[in-house]
Amino acid sequence: MKAVGARVPRYDGVAHVTGRTVFVEDFDVPGAAWVKALRSPHPHAGIAKLDASAAERMKGVRAVVTAADVPLNVYGHLSALGIPGDEPLLAEKEVRYVGQPIAVVAAEDEEIALAAVDAIEIEYDVREPLFDVRKAFDPDAPQIHEWGNWYPHFEDGYDHRQIRKGDIDAAFDQADLIVQGVYRPAAIEQLPIETQVCQVVPEANGRLTIYSCTQALYFSMGVVAAHLQQPLNKFKFVGGTVGGGFGGKVDTATETLCCLLALKSCKPTKWRWTREEEFLCSSTRAPWHMEVADAVTKDGWILGRRMITLHDSGAYARFSPYGVTKHSFHHTGAYTIPNLHFDGWVVFTNRTPTSAMRGFGVTSVSFATETHMSRIAEELGIDPFELRLKNANRIGDTSPNGVVYTDPSTVPTILAIADHLGHELPADYRTMTTEPRSGDLLPDHLVAQLGNPEDH
Amino acid sequence: MSLTVNGRTHEIESPPLTTLLDVLREELRMTSPKVGCEQGGCGACTVLVDGQPRRSCLIPVGALNGVAITTVEGLGTPEDLQPIQAAFVHHYAAQCGFCTSGLLMAATAYVANGGTDDREAIAHALGGHVCRCTGYVKIVDAVAAAARGDEFDLSTTAEGRYTTMHTGGDS
Repeated sequence: MKAVGARVPRYDGVAHVTGRTVFVEDFDVPGAAWVKALRSPHPHAGIAKLDASAAERMKGVRAVVTAADVPLNVYGHLSALGIPGDEPLLAEKEVRYVGQPIAVVAAEDEEIALAAVDAIEIEYDVREPLFDVRKAFDPDAPQIHEWGNWYPHFEDGYDHRQIRKGDIDAAFDQADLIVQGVYRPAAIEQLPIETQVCQVVPEANGRLTIYSCTQALYFSMGVVAAHLQQPLNKFKFVGGTVGGGFGGKVDTATETLCCLLALKSCKPTKWRWTREEEFLCSSTRAPWHMEVADAVTKDGWILGRRMITLHDSGAYARFSPYGVTKHSFHHTGAYTIPNLHFDGWVVFTNRTPTSAMRGFGVTSVSFATETHMSRIAEELGIDPFELRLKNANRIGDTSPNGVVYTDPSTVPTILAIADHLGHELPADYRTMTTEPRSGDLLPDHLVAQLGNPEDH
Repeated sequence: MSLTVNGRTHEIESPPLTTLLDVLREELRMTSPKVGCEQGGCGACTVLVDGQPRRSCLIPVGALNGVAITTVEGLGTPEDLQPIQAAFVHHYAAQCGFCTSGLLMAATAYVANGGTDDREAIAHALGGHVCRCTGYVKIVDAVAAAARGDEFDLSTTAEGRYTTMHTGGDS
């Protein structure tokens, strides 16, 4: 604990303020070709014709890469875990979101690269898109993904993430009141100030050196190696300096295509996304649709929660199943609810694929839970601080997925907030601790959920 | 044409409509001004033009004959930081470091023009600079400290040596 409360020297502070920190694009790679992408203007369309020959013949164009040039085009961000791939590196037969890459060009300068993109001949067969997760399950909804409109590959053949705990029907039978709410936080762009950027240099020894702003260097190395069907020792990744990421640089956005163009042209390549591309084409935090119904008593106990979550994954799965799993484990927030019935789906839409952002999968449900706690307090006419303290996680309580809490921080956090706001509390709440439940704080309905912290 | 940057005059070969940002980064290899949005929206490319903060991504270099440009390379060196640079280090105002150059130039102009440690005035002067890491509080702390003329003991906040290699930024 040497660092907590101490002034810890930054090893990069002086470099940052003297302009000497070398970000990916600050490396001078002489002769690097500019990379630009042909991207879909449609959220959902078939590709009826694709002909890049005119672009390839243009003066100053070094290489054009389409799906036909990719050794393994379809791969998934969860493929390393045995999940089938669903996302093509470059779209081949259809496009599923605005901005999806179809072809990439490497040219001597930016203007030629843009002109070459314009010279690629393409015809689309425009299809009806799906944008609303609530309509994805309708029989007449557009079918937008080969797996159907939701992800089907949770463990043991489940097509959604579910949690069952306690006796949900008994909880709702015993309730004095059912409090319901629907919560729909919108997509958020991570918005690093450094856009996605990559430089790739083919080396004389046959390897590629990749200067990458990725947040997940070894993951990106694996993704590139898989698409190129090459062993890992063909790639030297140089990274670690990230001009902001916030989750938006976990997905492998630029490296693979820069490598393919560098190999095809035998020359270095550089791809720096424009701000427009960053907004339009990079992954965002997902929009979520969450429906909550809580069985509550007049004196402020939450006996049970039924919840449905629809996670908008966009056009492909990427890491969304992982986000929904985390979401499900945290779906009671900082509070203990003994009887649970949770169903969460990863729903495909024709939006930009969504992925990691700070607190992946959890911030959405924290927003829903906290808003819902205040709604319950309002409906019951109970102080919202007292309602939270009463139901707060304590040592020995168990999480939705059965983990025993050994050091939950809800009580001290709520008390600190009340203290900071000058919110007065009765003595029995003011002196509450995080110690195991007993007496009035251990009513019958919370006995069965208790675990042994020693077993943790 | 010629361009004076950090007191040194350079002959420029780029066409006159090339942005100042591209000339600095691509022709003169001064990489402290960053490419963030190329439309004047983020502030990462800010340099001083005759002492005033300007977005280098919006200025054609041909319009700059006879003016003096200052970039972060023209502030203090690691061994001899200027007070605004020391203040940024001491108050941890740089996290990933990507917006830092632009903010340093805006802050330099603010202090040089007689700016005080009034937090609202500082926020106004730095308006339009987007930082996604800090939440701005530490940046305002640093500029206020520099405006007051605070002195800093960097031995508690910065390692003694800088590195020109990749320095892992918080992201």
